[in-house]
Amino acid sequence: MSKDLSTWLQSGYLTAVAAVTAATGISWMMFPFFEPANLIMTYLLAIVVIAARYGRGPSVLAAVASVAAFDFFFVPPHLTFAVADTQYVLTFAVMLFVGLVISGLTARIRLQADTARQREQRTAALYAMSGQLAETGAVEDLVAIAARHIAEVFDAEVGAALADAGGQLRIVRNDGGLPAEQDDVALSLWVLEHRRPAGLGTETSASARAVYVPLVGHRGPLGVVSVRPRQRDAFAIPGSLRQLETFINQTALAVERARSADEAQEARVRAETERLRNALLTSVSHDLRTPLATITGAATTILESGAHLDHRTQQELLESVREEADRLNRLVQNLLEMTRLESGALQLRRDWHPLEEVVGAALGRLAKSLGTRRVTVNIPPDLPLVAIDDVLIEQVFVNLLENAIKYTPPDSAIRILVSATDQSVTVEVADHGPGLPKGHEARVFEKFYRAASDGRRGAGLGLAICRGVVAAHGGRIWAHNLPEGGVAFLFTLPLTDTQPAPLPHDA
Amino acid sequence: MPDPVVVLVEDEPQIRRFLRATLTGQGYRLFEATTGAAGIIEVGSRQPDIVIIDLGLPDTDGIDVIRRLREWTAVPIIVLSARGQERDKVTALDAGADDYVSKPFGAGELLARIRVALRHTAGASHEADEAAFKVGELHVDLLRRQVAVGGAEVRLTPTEYKLLTTLIRHAGKVVTHQQLLREVWGPTHTDQAHYVRIYMAHLRHKLEAEPARPRYLLTEPGVGYRLAVD
Repeated sequence: MSKDLSTWLQSGYLTAVAAVTAATGISWMMFPFFEPANLIMTYLLAIVVIAARYGRGPSVLAAVASVAAFDFFFVPPHLTFAVADTQYVLTFAVMLFVGLVISGLTARIRLQADTARQREQRTAALYAMSGQLAETGAVEDLVAIAARHIAEVFDAEVGAALADAGGQLRIVRNDGGLPAEQDDVALSLWVLEHRRPAGLGTETSASARAVYVPLVGHRGPLGVVSVRPRQRDAFAIPGSLRQLETFINQTALAVERARSADEAQEARVRAETERLRNALLTSVSHDLRTPLATITGAATTILESGAHLDHRTQQELLESVREEADRLNRLVQNLLEMTRLESGALQLRRDWHPLEEVVGAALGRLAKSLGTRRVTVNIPPDLPLVAIDDVLIEQVFVNLLENAIKYTPPDSAIRILVSATDQSVTVEVADHGPGLPKGHEARVFEKFYRAASDGRRGAGLGLAICRGVVAAHGGRIWAHNLPEGGVAFLFTLPLTDTQPAPLPHDA
Repeated sequence: MPDPVVVLVEDEPQIRRFLRATLTGQGYRLFEATTGAAGIIEVGSRQPDIVIIDLGLPDTDGIDVIRRLREWTAVPIIVLSARGQERDKVTALDAGADDYVSKPFGAGELLARIRVALRHTAGASHEADEAAFKVGELHVDLLRRQVAVGGAEVRLTPTEYKLLTTLIRHAGKVVTHQQLLREVWGPTHTDQAHYVRIYMAHLRHKLEAEPARPRYLLTEPGVGYRLAVD
């Protein structure tokens, strides 16, 4: 009861009565000096004020009360509702009519102002939402942002479901707005299929508690948003549903953009994978077939016309068989190594090693291909032991040295320089060759990298393996051209605080 | 001395064919087996001077064959294995194999290993060890315990000398870290492989012209060391 009363008070009817009372008071004071027609103006003023402030109902009350009060107080006989002069009946009719027209017009202006203000607020909210959507990439985040804005602007609970590739709806947001009831799902699917809103405030299933609006992009429906307003008549206001659709269309565009970006990213990854696979196939098939072709050719030549070949030619053919077999072996070894590195099957078998010994083993393995080439090795005598997998680090040295042998003239020197700080050991392998193409200093460590049109053979795996092995040891590897010509490959191996058990006394 | 007898345990026909050509061409009498079980029977019946065995056999692990052979024979065993299988090589060597060659290998490499292995059998059958070891500029007088490089005497600590003489006992053959630790430092230090590496570094600095490009004291990464014999 008291609640009804307060609502009634707030709604302006009491103020309307008070305004008419005030108008009557003013008119009472004016009455001795003015014509009654002027008093009517005071009442009309009160009606305008009430209409502008409180709308139609209170202003109608004010109009009727004004006529009654004017009659009672100012029309003879005074202080009765009786009317002596019949011409006042016309006055009353005109006064009531004018009062009602004013109240109607004023109330409509007020409603229009309210609607405009709301529209302006919603436009601002839409703008804010668009801004946030533009900054967001993930579909789930986009939906969350849109739902938050829509919930705030329309004072509603918001749910959302996105359609997957097979047309199945997947609920991504379920804040009470989209309860997974059978009706909701059915209605959502209907909305998705017909690309038209349904539910509350629409022509379809208007009895539903929420309105269901499709998310439609350029390429078709993306999902459904359900909006359940806290006040059931929220979408009865004209234009409200259209505004909601504007919000949801913005969201649809953002979701579609995000999906396109995802798809483009996937396509890029697929293309890159494809490129790598092609590079691998090209490289491997070429690098496997070339030595095999030589071996087959040399062997069949000796088999079929060995008797006619002089001894030197036979030796040369056999020599090329051996060299090509060596090359095949190296290639297979590199491929195996790369596969182990990439599959994560590589387990470091670390132990304490003097780096000099590992360098020595690598130089020993390459003795034949190094030939008479000058190799200077500079290792500080007090270099601590390093905790490494000697087999793998030897491979790093072998690959770096083979690289230098391959790209430099046969008589040019190679330098191995080792230095240490408290934290790490740095190894430099430098040659005096042509150096790396400008800007390719980092790319040389990529798989299947080969300097464009260098005409030299190799799968482009050696340096990629070096990078993998060094990284597995917690170090890094890089390359730079030397000012005096040639290229230096450098890698680090971290040093730890602990060192192995000290040696027993030996004297 | 009659032609040395070789038993080859290998399942790959192409490799058997190439080894048959190589070994019979060099005057060895060759007997072949394609499985581990057949190999053990062949070794028992032929009494070979040397056994060559592939680690990847169809019926059994080559390492098991080595263990079973070592239960009753000291015949030199050379293992055929692939690079990248360093653990298998070490296991085979610690199980009693004398040496290994990595596939793919050249005929020369295998023949050199066989010669070294046969020389060790011959040496062991003599009453006394040889009194001196010589390779390149390195000269070790085992009677006087004197080491010289290019005629100049080099002073070694007791451990360095013991390490060097251990390598000389196995000259030309690969020796694992475990073997060296056991023979030089005794059975209680077998988990301190870095002892060996540090003393090898000392030895190289005293004996090698270029310690980072050793001529005599060769490293087999992941496996052990080999003292060059030529």
